[in-house]
Amino acid sequence: MEYILKNGIVYDPTNNVTGEKKDVMIKDGKIVGNVSSDAKVLDVTDKLVMAAGVDVHAHIAGPKLCVGRLYRPEDERRGVVAKTDITRAETGFSIPSCSATGYRYSRMGYGTVTEAAVPPLEAKHTHEEIMSIPNIDVTPLLLFGNNWFVLQYVKEGNLEDLAAFVAAWLKIAKCYGMKVVNPCGSEAWGWGMNVHGVDDPAPYWDVTGREVVRALTQVNEMLGLPHSMHVHPNDLGHPGNYQTTIDTMDAVKDIEKNPSVIRNQTLHCTHLQFHSYGGTSWRDANSGAEPVADYINKNKHVTCDIGQITLDETTTMTADAPMEYDLYKLSGLKWANKDIELETAAGLIPIIYSPKAPVNSLQWAIGLELFLMINDPWQVVLTTDSPNAGPFIRYPRIISWLMSSDRRTEMLEGEVHKWASKRTALPTLDRVYDWNEIATVTRSAPAKILGLEDRGHLGVGANADVAVYDLEPENFDATKAANAAVIEDVLGRALYTIKDGDVVVKDGKISKVVKSRHLWSNVQGFEEQEKKVLENIMPMFNRYYTVKFENYKVHDHYIDPSIEFKIDASK
Amino acid sequence: MKTITLTLKKFSSIALEFDELKPDDIYTWSKKDFEKYQVPVGNTRFPLSNYFDIEVEGEAEGPEDVKMILDGDMGRVKYIGCGMTAGEIIVNGDADLHVGAEMEGGSIKINGNAESYVGREMRGGNIEVMGDVKEYCGTSYIGEWRGMSGGVIKVHGNAGKQLADCMSGGEIYVDGSCDILAGIHMTKGYIEIGGDVTRWPGGQMKNGNIVIKGKLSSLLEGFNPDGIIENPDIDGKQLTGKYIKYIGDIGVNGKGTLWLNAEKNRDLL
Repeated sequence: MEYILKNGIVYDPTNNVTGEKKDVMIKDGKIVGNVSSDAKVLDVTDKLVMAAGVDVHAHIAGPKLCVGRLYRPEDERRGVVAKTDITRAETGFSIPSCSATGYRYSRMGYGTVTEAAVPPLEAKHTHEEIMSIPNIDVTPLLLFGNNWFVLQYVKEGNLEDLAAFVAAWLKIAKCYGMKVVNPCGSEAWGWGMNVHGVDDPAPYWDVTGREVVRALTQVNEMLGLPHSMHVHPNDLGHPGNYQTTIDTMDAVKDIEKNPSVIRNQTLHCTHLQFHSYGGTSWRDANSGAEPVADYINKNKHVTCDIGQITLDETTTMTADAPMEYDLYKLSGLKWANKDIELETAAGLIPIIYSPKAPVNSLQWAIGLELFLMINDPWQVVLTTDSPNAGPFIRYPRIISWLMSSDRRTEMLEGEVHKWASKRTALPTLDRVYDWNEIATVTRSAPAKILGLEDRGHLGVGANADVAVYDLEPENFDATKAANAAVIEDVLGRALYTIKDGDVVVKDGKISKVVKSRHLWSNVQGFEEQEKKVLENIMPMFNRYYTVKFENYKVHDHYIDPSIEFKIDASK
Repeated sequence: MKTITLTLKKFSSIALEFDELKPDDIYTWSKKDFEKYQVPVGNTRFPLSNYFDIEVEGEAEGPEDVKMILDGDMGRVKYIGCGMTAGEIIVNGDADLHVGAEMEGGSIKINGNAESYVGREMRGGNIEVMGDVKEYCGTSYIGEWRGMSGGVIKVHGNAGKQLADCMSGGEIYVDGSCDILAGIHMTKGYIEIGGDVTRWPGGQMKNGNIVIKGKLSSLLEGFNPDGIIENPDIDGKQLTGKYIKYIGDIGVNGKGTLWLNAEKNRDLL
């Protein structure tokens, strides 16, 4: 099928196209330079055209989601939509049903989403859930930061075997890249403890977060994985944690990037908002955004996503179990814990981010400060760490905040608690994002950060993942506070979302359901070492795991359809 | 005043759902509109007139002018008055699940028994049940920690398990007996039970008042006695007789009050 999207206003930062009126042509699921006269014309004259969105960090599939749905039936009641001839019924607000997840991303014009925390033991389950999510490609990231084998290799300083282990485990779990969550902290939780700062060792292993992040980043670059190390640093949500965040970023500064990859960074620091707090307790907490942003402005080896608070009632779920327990003690609502044997531990609680609450308003303002203080939009990605800081369906609302300092002033003056003004620099920041920067932080930058060349832009040869919005950027003043609601509405229901050349959304409604693809990294050239490593760890595996190794592996039929990234580790 | 009378002519063993037929939405409806209306039945819809004879008399300017009379066995009609904010509903028979759930105003009277979830998450208005209610009357919904926050429920018969779970306001009166865990997780509000109670009222309650005029078979360990009070005045409600006062549930640092009729509970003196 051929399409030609006619006369749209195109924003494609990767290819330096900034609001030009031009046609986008599609053939066989790819962007092409020209099409035949049979091509179907979609008239999008003067409408906003971008590549489909890419989400670098969200929680959309896996055991935490299932626990969340079981544990929060009251959330499932919100967002109920009846089935149509094309779609299944939707449920849920912060933890939508699998199909609703796909439809909602698709309606926002997104085409690729990263599931940011897959425990290897539950990888099979995660892939099963991804199979039930339609219309988006998924890049799952595998958890390594509290894995016993990893801790053992780090303790021994054995990077060769660690690299082989990572290569083997990415194959076993069919995942795209590496993720570290509160390195050593979730392991300490097994002992009812946490770690504080990057140099606090996990009990028994006597290994620190700094050592784990460094070793895994080295391995990441040794193997040349498309995405960099993806880190959720220690001390999430603790006042004064900004120093830990800077220490984490600085710990890998000297590690050289593998020359074969397209990304610029060696470390992606996720949901930075939760890691940029000043003060010593929640009484005197203030913003730590400035030193963190300053570090990122001066250092190109780091990228980040924000994890912007959206001021909703949502669900927090993370493989940072000790932090969830702390949060539960603060909120007093309900709490679930999920221990993943030798690998990690996750926790989950409902949370109400209220604009009336001082702390929540402060968190909201810190997120926006980071967006506005980090100069290079290629180093920032728009996320809500969905659903932790808010559900992903709020992305359009965040965009409206970024594009209008008037709207932010309106909120600071009348809608949020005064801590947002008094304890942050947000009132002094009048920077506004333009459409080109919005396209950067929602498509181009995340694609590049993930190391994906085939998406996030509209150059010839890219996947035909395109979003068209019912808005004429040349006749629309996004800086006006009154237009914030329009932005939110329009970006929430794409005029067209095209996924690999299929029109999956038309006029804000799902018009077609396609299977999501599982993206995974297949490292070549470590086969011998992988075999040796597997032989070495098998006694420990057999002794401590509750499953047999034969049942641990994700078999091919769990990842149909998939995109395999063959990585030549020798390069 | 508009009087809408629905008289059951065919009983459906698969439940009908009435949440779309609240006074707020139907005060403008004529008889024709009702006859056109398709009521949810299981996973589909059928004409309301398949099941009811419909009479509509008078005019209404708003939901407060509506009086709905449901004649017959509504034992398989769910969500009667669910979410209503004004008006009056009278059921001359039994009612199925969720009567007056999420109700904000108006009144409902059931001249029969009601199933579970009467007045679930109710915020205002009045519900009177002449017969018994089953479980979870005046509670939150599954998983939810925010329950009934306002309004009054009067049950002339008996109440089932977990009456007023997570209640944070309003009043519940039960003339008959009550099963386990009345007022569990409650944080505010007033519960008065005229008859006997099986076990464990006020489990994990943080605040609020529970009055038991009959015999309590088993008290939770988390309640500390706080004296015997004659003719206590509780939030402006004057009780007569001697009551044993307990404070709890200490397991959650609760400051709730449980009042037991001293005469009927002499074993606890």
